[in-house]
Amino acid sequence: MKKKKLDLLPYALISPLIIFIICLALTPAVYTTIAAFFKVQPLNPPTRFSGLDNFRDIIHNSAVISSLGNTFLYILIGVTLSTVLGIYIAVVMQRSFKGRSILIAILILPWALPGVVEGILWTGIWDANTGVLNSVLKSLHLITHYQVFLGQNRLLTILAIEIVQVWQITPLSAILILAVLQNIPDDLYEAATIDGSNARKSFRHITLPLIRPGIAIAVVQAIIATLNVFDQPYILNGAASTANSLAMETYAVSFQNLNFGQGYALSLLITIFTLLISVVVAKFIYKKVEY
Amino acid sequence: MKQRNVGFRRFGVGFILSWSLIPIYWVINTSFQTDAQISDTPSHLYPPTPGWANYKALLIGNGELAGMVRRSTINIFIECISATAITVVLASLAAYAFARMEFKGRKIFLFLVVMTMAFPTYTTLIPMYRIMAAVHLVNTYLGIILCYVSGFLPLATWILFSYMQSLPQAIEEAGSVDGATRMQVFRLIVLPLIMPALASTAVITFLFAWAQFIFPLVLASDQSTQPLTVIVAAIQGRHVVPYSLLSTAGVIALSVPAVIALFTNRFIVSGLINGSVK
Repeated sequence: MKKKKLDLLPYALISPLIIFIICLALTPAVYTTIAAFFKVQPLNPPTRFSGLDNFRDIIHNSAVISSLGNTFLYILIGVTLSTVLGIYIAVVMQRSFKGRSILIAILILPWALPGVVEGILWTGIWDANTGVLNSVLKSLHLITHYQVFLGQNRLLTILAIEIVQVWQITPLSAILILAVLQNIPDDLYEAATIDGSNARKSFRHITLPLIRPGIAIAVVQAIIATLNVFDQPYILNGAASTANSLAMETYAVSFQNLNFGQGYALSLLITIFTLLISVVVAKFIYKKVEY
Repeated sequence: MKQRNVGFRRFGVGFILSWSLIPIYWVINTSFQTDAQISDTPSHLYPPTPGWANYKALLIGNGELAGMVRRSTINIFIECISATAITVVLASLAAYAFARMEFKGRKIFLFLVVMTMAFPTYTTLIPMYRIMAAVHLVNTYLGIILCYVSGFLPLATWILFSYMQSLPQAIEEAGSVDGATRMQVFRLIVLPLIMPALASTAVITFLFAWAQFIFPLVLASDQSTQPLTVIVAAIQGRHVVPYSLLSTAGVIALSVPAVIALFTNRFIVSGLINGSVK
């Protein structure tokens, strides 16, 4: 800086970004936080301060409580499956081989598709009357008549829906882990092999500890995605409440029951959950690694 | 040892291929079948009498469904392209300031950007609707585009910022010694250098915008602005629409992102890694 005069150019350059953030991210976030403590029902005015009423109503709303349990299952299944598959896929792709770049293009395909469309795709697999899974299982004589995967058994419905989301988020997990995996120097593996290590031991003692930062990021993005799961259950299970997620309940409370106050309270809880879990998980798994 | 590695990889490659492609193959397969064929047991592994009937019904027919699909396809292109263009332009300007200039509050503003990236969708959903309603932008292209831009701008800025930071400053300094202004340096030197990152940002933003569902579901109240994703869900919700047409609508909605992902995967991968590993 040669001149002492205030340099305005950088402020001019970032101002559109900052205006967007303030108007359409910060203001809404603050608004949600404050309005969670108000009674906001457009069909039943006035709007007034109601303390913790919204939170109390939420806790006594059985649909919300059951969606909380469902969301816990979505997260558990989704994070576990996407992380394990992500590690597996990353290890398969660790060393370069012919056709690897084409394989990466195919790998990220499911990530690029809209959740709604994925719901339509997997309807063709899970469907009780025309689904291909039933057809295959019957041809293999594993079942005698077609099964209903969606909408009857709560656990089975959640599993089937979450597999669809896992299909969507696993590519990102794999790529994030692969990025870290490719930084591991080859001589570490060579040295281990000379010392009599086999592939399984090398994986446990070299690969797994060194890819922890990649796993941490993959887990955090998986938690955020599964905590907010909406498109897939909306399409595959509709408004049937057997497998509703927290996000679907928030939508129903706010835009179907038009009880915005409760909606704000739920959104606030989801936000706090997300931030807390992300921070804790990141702290727990993320350790700086040195080669 | 060598032998086992080859077997491990072959199995892995087979797994990745079938995991990614079978569901996509299956929806394409059913989109070329009649409803009677889809209901046959066992299912047809390929269309017995492939034809374009379903596609014609959805794309060039006079029916209500065809009208909805056509209109929403135009809508989704307008919304995604505009949002992507605005996001990339604004993000590159901001990233340039963050990466190459010293100014008071730089750290705080940068922190603000990262913090907004961590907000879950549902923090902003209801107030976003209320704000748009207050300024009469519900059910307009502009409302949807502004909503998308606000959602994707922080990540886009972050990707471009990390990329610019990794570039050496020497070339730009040579430029400013020659008497070029900072905006000339940006236009003539920085922009060409960050082309790969601009491509990443544009592709990722476009794909995110194309995949949006709950925001347009709330912000677009009728068919004049609803994007294809919302219409596909609406068709599915009607239950009278047969799966043959539904799967065809699905193929139409996935064709654009699928083609983009296949051809630009290099940019997507580098952008995703740049955007999150920090």
